[in-house]
Order: sequence, then structure tokens, then C-alpha cells
Amino acid sequence: MDEADVKSVVKLEQVTKVYRQGAVDVHALRGLDLTVGKGEFVAICGPSGSGKTTALNLIGALDRTTSGEVWLEGNNLNRLNRQQLSRLRRDRIGFVFQAYNLIPVLTAFENAEAVLALQGGSAARRQERVMALLAEVGLKGMEHRRPHELSGGQQQRVAIVRAIAAEPAVVLADEPTANVDSETADNLLEIMGRLNQERGVTFIFSTHDSRVMDRARRLVRMVDGRVASDSKS
Amino acid sequence: MNIFKMAWRNVWRNTRRTTVTIAAMTLALMVEVLYSGLVLGYFQGLEDDLLDLEVGDVQIFAPDYLDTPSIYSAIQDPVPLLATLNDMGYPACPRLLGGALAAADESSAGVALRGVEVDLEKEVTLIDENVADGVWLDSADKRGVVIGRRLARTLAVEPGDEIVLLTQAADGSIAHDLFRIRGVLLGIADGTDRTAVYMNGEAFRELMEFPEGVHQVIVRRPQDVDLKSAAQAIGQVATGLDVKTWKELMPLVATMLESTRGMIVIIFLVVYIAIAILVLNAMLMAVFERIREFGILKAIGVGPFYVFGLILVEAGIQTLVALFSGLVLALPGMWYLSEVGIDVGSLGGMNVMGLAMRPVWNGIYTLDTVIVPIILLVVIVFCAVLYPALKAALIRPVQAMHHR
Repeated sequence: MDEADVKSVVKLEQVTKVYRQGAVDVHALRGLDLTVGKGEFVAICGPSGSGKTTALNLIGALDRTTSGEVWLEGNNLNRLNRQQLSRLRRDRIGFVFQAYNLIPVLTAFENAEAVLALQGGSAARRQERVMALLAEVGLKGMEHRRPHELSGGQQQRVAIVRAIAAEPAVVLADEPTANVDSETADNLLEIMGRLNQERGVTFIFSTHDSRVMDRARRLVRMVDGRVASDSKS
Repeated sequence: MNIFKMAWRNVWRNTRRTTVTIAAMTLALMVEVLYSGLVLGYFQGLEDDLLDLEVGDVQIFAPDYLDTPSIYSAIQDPVPLLATLNDMGYPACPRLLGGALAAADESSAGVALRGVEVDLEKEVTLIDENVADGVWLDSADKRGVVIGRRLARTLAVEPGDEIVLLTQAADGSIAHDLFRIRGVLLGIADGTDRTAVYMNGEAFRELMEFPEGVHQVIVRRPQDVDLKSAAQAIGQVATGLDVKTWKELMPLVATMLESTRGMIVIIFLVVYIAIAILVLNAMLMAVFERIREFGILKAIGVGPFYVFGLILVEAGIQTLVALFSGLVLALPGMWYLSEVGIDVGSLGGMNVMGLAMRPVWNGIYTLDTVIVPIILLVVIVFCAVLYPALKAALIRPVQAMHHR
């Protein structure tokens, strides 16, 4: 890898992904090339089936490519085993999902703390950091509530804290505003924008939401599993 | 993330399913513990009765007696042998054996005569405590006999009645004499019940014209000496004689008793396999309805070992609760069965392979009767959760997160 590749947080080279659906092969990605640098705030948009979520899954080491290479901070994901991928997800990647995806038996604090707890470290430091982040996203006083006791927006804020608590290289947000009202969506985007600006966290969104696209400083449009356009604002 | 805290909360997410699973395990454990104690008590009772009342641990005969039983095949001078055995801590008593025809009024039956030394017999066997009606022999009452219960029924006699014993004496003459029934025995073993006539050794010698020697020496072993070692020790002092353990004398009964443990394990397994299916079903449901959650856990960096461990801990928590509740619930049953027992006397006496069953069937509860069912339950539950745990541990995150 050259120096430029190391500086890029994410790099996809000629990535294809083919799913088998019954007797039919579905080509989700057809030679995708994409590079995302540190501190970028990128929105990947495109119609349903264009391959947005598949791209995020591959970048997030949740799935493997059919062909092509995916690099994260210089690590070729194709060459890592199951355990190494788990460690990479834990330490270097944050996820924010459309359906919040909190663990129902854990409190807001425990959910937010989950990645830090997996990494180990002192409980006091974890508590300090998570409480500060929860306060930053407006969840002070709700630390002991279980997910079912929180609104959708509140759950998504917990998910954002979980994603950024361990200071990952990149946060992948798959349609993060799809299940919340406009006001909450604006609020969430405000929080993520602030984290990007102030902390330099790299965000990659997959979205249909124009509000997300408006706030993104780089817009990647995908069609049929390829990048159709890539513009920076 | 504390795996135990998370497992504990997961276990109680679906209270109804968890309760049913724990209840099934509890019931299985309780039944198995009570059952194993009852079976052990049953066979131990049979074995104890057999040894205490009939055969002792080891028997000594003249070399050719067992092949061709005859009044003439006798241990000629048993006194030094008996003294040596007693000095070694092996209580022993002699018996005289013979056959006769017993008659009372218009009934008659072939009988097995057993001449005993009344005082010595009490130190070796418990037959004197097993008289159902009347009393045991008295060394002062040479004409008194004690007979088996079915023989009493055949001859239609009871304590106080008289019987005539007719036989061929050792000198070839026809011997006969009148004896009075002192007692009728409880059920002991089929052969004893139908044919045994216990009599004073001196009376036997007079009737049979058999002044010296004995046919059989019954020996008990100290509790801390195993049967094989006891037989070897006895063999060393009973030189030139035939020394047999009770297992060699009654191989069928010995095999039956030996196989009891295997039988218990088989029945355990059958019950536990049913429990395993239930646990497997419950754990599969618990895993598949949370498959998305496992996907999330994996997405945030939880490794396959953690997921595998989480499911094992969840099963472990349920098993621990079941172990505790199963044992607590079994305790009153264990107390009742060991102290009070089940009255089977009202069934009119039962016997198994010729051995009479005690009128009260008691359970015997040892560490083994509790530990074996516990170990089996733990192993079966572990086997049952292995598949769902592996399934959850190995599923790919993206696959798990899109699971419906």
C-alpha cells in the first residue's frame, strides 16, 4: 500500500458482491471503487438495491466480498480471520443502525458502554467517558433506562454513543434517521455533525434522507452496485 | 460486558419458558434421585437378606460336596478352623445338611434339614430374628424345629404342632423321629420357604447317626474387607477345603445385582433424553428469537467464544436453579422412603429370582444416589445446548442481523 492508502481510512477496490437468492444470483456490487479519508462526513445515497447497505456491511467487516479488496486503516479485511475481524469491529469501527439495535436486557448506560467494556480498561474511566457522552447527546438522567423505556430518538442517541465511545476510525450509519421524526432526525444529525467537527470522527452514511445528504460534505451516489457520482460540497 | 449478568437477565426475559424448562429439569432430577435410592434400597435389601439370613459371604465345604452333595462329604474336624476364623475376625458357624421326608397328619413334603449350633448361629447370621410366628431354636429344646413358611402351609402346621421326620441315617438305617414346631420363618428365599427345617445340631446328629464333622461352614467378612480378599484369606486357613464366595454359589443372583447399576443408568438416560429434547427445544427457541441480537453483539465486536459462553452460562444458570430446587424438593421424599418406606407386605410377599422381598421397601440414599443424577443432568443439558450455542457462535453477523 502507498502512503495515500494508509492515510485513507477506508478503501474499496473493484469490489463485487453476489448473493444467491433461491436459484438467482443477485449482483449487489459490480466493481465498486471508493476511498474515504480521515474525518470525512460522507453520505452514500441511491435507489433501493443500489448496494449502499452491502457496501457498508463490507466496510464494517460484517460480510466478505465476492471479489475485490476492502482496506480499513491499511488492513486488508479479506486476509483477517473471524477473531481478527471481531477485534477490528470492536476497536476500529462504530455502527449506527436504522433499527437502533440496542441490546434489550442492558440499560442505556450498559449499551453505550458495551464496546468499551469489551475492550477492557478501568470501570471508572469507562463510566466517566460514557456518562460524559450520554450527557453530550442529551441523555443525562436516563442512564438506567432499558431500551423499551426510551423513545426511538433516544435509543438512536444511545446507539451513537455506543458507536463513538471507543473512538473508532470510522462510524458506519445505515439509514440512521429512517425511523425517527424530522425533529429527532435533525437533532441526531446535529449531534453526529458536531462529533465529526469537534472530535474528527469519520462518518459514512447510507441514506435516502435529503436532510442527511444536505448536511454531508461528500455525496456518493450509487446505481447498480457502482459509484455513479461522487461530489464534495 | 459481564457475561453472567447478561446471561442472568436473558434467562428471565421469557419467564414462562424458563420456568417450564427449570420445572422439567427439577422434576427429572427429583424423580431420578428418589428412584435411584429406591432401586438401590431394593437390591441392597435383597443382597443383605441373602447374606445375613442364608448364605453368608463365604462358605466352606469338603472338597467334593458341591459336586456330589452327600451326608458323607463332610469337614471332619471343623473346630480348629472355626477358632482360627474367629481369631482372624471372620465370624463363622457350622451347619449340618441332609434331606428327609416331613409328615404331619395327612400331609407330607420333602425337606432340607439344616442342623445348626444355636448360639454360634446367632453370632453369624440373623436368621433367628426372622421368625414370623413362634420363636427361634433353643439349645435346650432338642425336639424343637423352625420351618419355612410355605412348608408350614403345605403341611398345614403352626407353632406347637408336631411333625415326623423320616430319613435314611448315615449308617444306612431308616431314621424317624417326632419334632415340635417352635417357629415359622418369614419369607427368605424360595428354596428355604418351601423346604427348610432348621433344627438343633445335636438333634440332627442323633437323627442322622452322624456323630462328627459338618457339611458347611458359613463365614462373614469384616466390613472393610472386600469379598475377593476375604475369600483369599479364608482359603489360606481352610487348606484342602472348597472355599466359595456367595457370588460363586449364586452366580445368577450376583449378576442380577451387579447389573442393577447399569439398569439404573439406562433408565436415567431415557428420562434425561426426554429432558434433553425439552432443553434443546427451549434453547433453540431462545437462540433463534435472539439471532438478530447475536448479530448486533458480533457487529460491535463480540467474539464467537463470548456468544458460545453466553448460551452455556444461560443453560448453566437454569441447571443450577433446577439442581437446587430438585434436591430441596427431593429431601422430604428421601427422608420418607429411607425412614418409613413403602409397605409391600400387604401384597402377600414378593420374591425376585427366588429371593423374598422385605415387607417394607426402604430407599437407601448415599452421596452416589445424588451425585450420579446431578452429573447426568449437567452432561445432558450441556449436550442439548451445544448445537444452539455453536449455531449462534458461528453465524455471520450480517446473516444474523437480517434473520427474520
